[in-house]
Amino acid sequence: MAPKFAIRANGLTKRYGQAVAVNNLDLNIQSGQFYGLLGPNGAGKSTTIHMLTTMTSPTSGEAFIAEKSVLKHPVAIRATVGLVFQDSALDRMMTVDENLQFAAALYNLKPAQANERIDELLAIFGLQKKRHMKLAALSGGQRRAVDIARGVLHKPRVLFLDEPTIGLDLPNRRAIWRFVEQLRKEEGMTVFLTTHYLEEAVSCDRVDFIQKGELQYGGAPSALIRDLAAYILEIDCADTEAVNRALSPQFGQPIWEDEHLTYRVKDKNVDFTQLQQSLGDAVISLQWRKPNLNDVYLWTVCPPETGVVT
Amino acid sequence: MKNWLAVKAVAGRELSKVFRQRGRLVSSMVRPLIWLLVIGSGVGSMLQGSQQEGYLGFLVPGIVAMTLLFAALLSALTLVYDKEFGVMRMMMIAPIEHYWIVIAKLIAATITAMVQALMLLVILVLIGLIDWNIALLLLIPAFATAICCAAIGGLIAAWSKTLDNFAVIMNFFIFPLFFLSGALYPVSQLPELLKYVVLINPFSYGVDLMKHAVPAATSDFSIMTDVAVLTGFSMVAIVVACWRFSRESVHEPLFHRVTAKKS
Repeated sequence: MAPKFAIRANGLTKRYGQAVAVNNLDLNIQSGQFYGLLGPNGAGKSTTIHMLTTMTSPTSGEAFIAEKSVLKHPVAIRATVGLVFQDSALDRMMTVDENLQFAAALYNLKPAQANERIDELLAIFGLQKKRHMKLAALSGGQRRAVDIARGVLHKPRVLFLDEPTIGLDLPNRRAIWRFVEQLRKEEGMTVFLTTHYLEEAVSCDRVDFIQKGELQYGGAPSALIRDLAAYILEIDCADTEAVNRALSPQFGQPIWEDEHLTYRVKDKNVDFTQLQQSLGDAVISLQWRKPNLNDVYLWTVCPPETGVVT
Repeated sequence: MKNWLAVKAVAGRELSKVFRQRGRLVSSMVRPLIWLLVIGSGVGSMLQGSQQEGYLGFLVPGIVAMTLLFAALLSALTLVYDKEFGVMRMMMIAPIEHYWIVIAKLIAATITAMVQALMLLVILVLIGLIDWNIALLLLIPAFATAICCAAIGGLIAAWSKTLDNFAVIMNFFIFPLFFLSGALYPVSQLPELLKYVVLINPFSYGVDLMKHAVPAATSDFSIMTDVAVLTGFSMVAIVVACWRFSRESVHEPLFHRVTAKKS
C-alpha cells in the first residue's frame, strides 16, 4: 500500500555561502497528488527538487520520499523517483533507443523488460517511428518527450518535472501535458511540477508559490482563483490618477504599470459597460476577464503596491 | 551484483562510441607510428653502431605505453565531457552509488587503451619490428599499464570541472608523464634531478614493465618493483578518484550551472 505522503519535508533549507536558496520549507504531498511549485527564475524551485531527489543535500532540515529519508537512503530514493531535468540529460549523438536502453540499464531493468517498457512509452508519446533516429534529429518537443520517457522508464512512485515545457512552443507544450496526464492516469504516480508557465499548473491538485526560497501562498488552483476575485479588470488610462481615485474605493488598490491599471473585482454583479461610461475620457480601453493563476501570483506574491512585474 | 548492469551500461556506452568512430580508432595509430618511424629513425640515426639498430626496438615498449597513456587518459576524460554536456545527470540520478560511474568509466578506458595497444602490436608485428611472441608477452604488462593510465585519467577527471582546460591537461599531465617515464631513453642516462622525477612517475613503471618483455629494451627496475608500484598506485588512485567524484561538491556545480543558465 502506498504511504499517505509521497513527499514530506520539514524545515528544508539550502544555503550557498551567504545566499539562501531555499529557506525552511515544509511540504506534505499526498501519494498520487499532482503538485505544483510555482515561482520566478531563481526562486528555489530547482534547488528544492535537487534536495528531494538526492542531487544535492540540504544545509538543514529533512525530507522523506515514500517515508524514506532522503539523507539516509539516497540510492533507494533514486530508485523511487524519476527526475526530468530543465534541459535534456540525454546524449544527442545516440539514438532514442540507445538513450532509453542506457537509462533502463542504469535502473537495472533487464533487456526484455526494458524493451517492453520502451515500446509502451514510445507508443504513448507517438514516437515509435523515431526509435532508431539520433536524438539530434528530433524536434525540441520530441526530445522533451524522450526525456520524460527516460524519467518514467522505471515506473517511479514520484515523478519530478523541473520546468518540463521550457522553451517549447504551444502545441508541443500541450502534447507534453497530455502525455503526463496519461501517465498519471495509467500509473498513478505522484507528480511534482515546477514551472513558471503558471497556466500549466491549473490541473494540479495543489500549488504553492515560492519566492526567494520561501513558500508564500498555496492551495488548490481553483480555490486560489475563486478566492482572488470574480473578475480581473484591466484599464488603459488617459488619466491614471483620476481612474484610480474613482475605482480604488470600490475595488481596492490596483496593480499599477505605467498607464495600465489592473483591479480585482470580487463583486460578480458589476456592470462594466456602465463603469466604462462613468469614467469617460479618463479611460482609453477597459476589459474584464475571469482571473487565472497568473493573477493569483501577481496579487499574492507581488504586492499590488509595488506592482512589480519581472 | 545489483550494480553490474549499470556498470556494464556505462562502460558499454563508452565502448560503443569508440568502435562507432572507426576513423578515430584508425587515426589513433598515426601518433605512435610517427613517433616510432620518424622520431625513432631520426634519433636512431644520431646514435652509433649497434645502438643505432637497437633504438627502434628500445622504443617499442615506450610507444605502446604512449598509446595506452593517450587512449586511457582521453577515455577517462569522458567523465568531464559527460559533465559538460549534461549526460552525467542521467547517471547521477540512477539508483547506484556514484563511485560506480567512475569504476565503469575506468573499465571502459582500460579496454579502449588495450584495443588500441593490440592494434598497434599487430602493426608492429606486420612491419617486422617485433614477433608474435613478444607481442603476446607485451599484452600482460600493457594491461597493468592501461589500468594505471586509466586511474591517472580518473584522478584528473575527478578534479576537472570543464573541458576548457584540456590543453592544460595535455601540457601538464600527458606530455610530462610520457617524456619523464623512460619511454624514449634509458632512465640511467638521465640527469640526476630528472631521475627522481621519473621515479615518482607511476607511468615509468608501466613502461619499464613492458621493457622486460622486449629483449632490445633495457629495464631500469625489477618486475616486482614495477608490479608493486603499478598495483599500489592504481588502487590508491581509483579509490581517491571514486571518493572525490562521490563528493557532492564535485557534481553540485553541474546542477547549479544548468539551472543558472536559465536565470
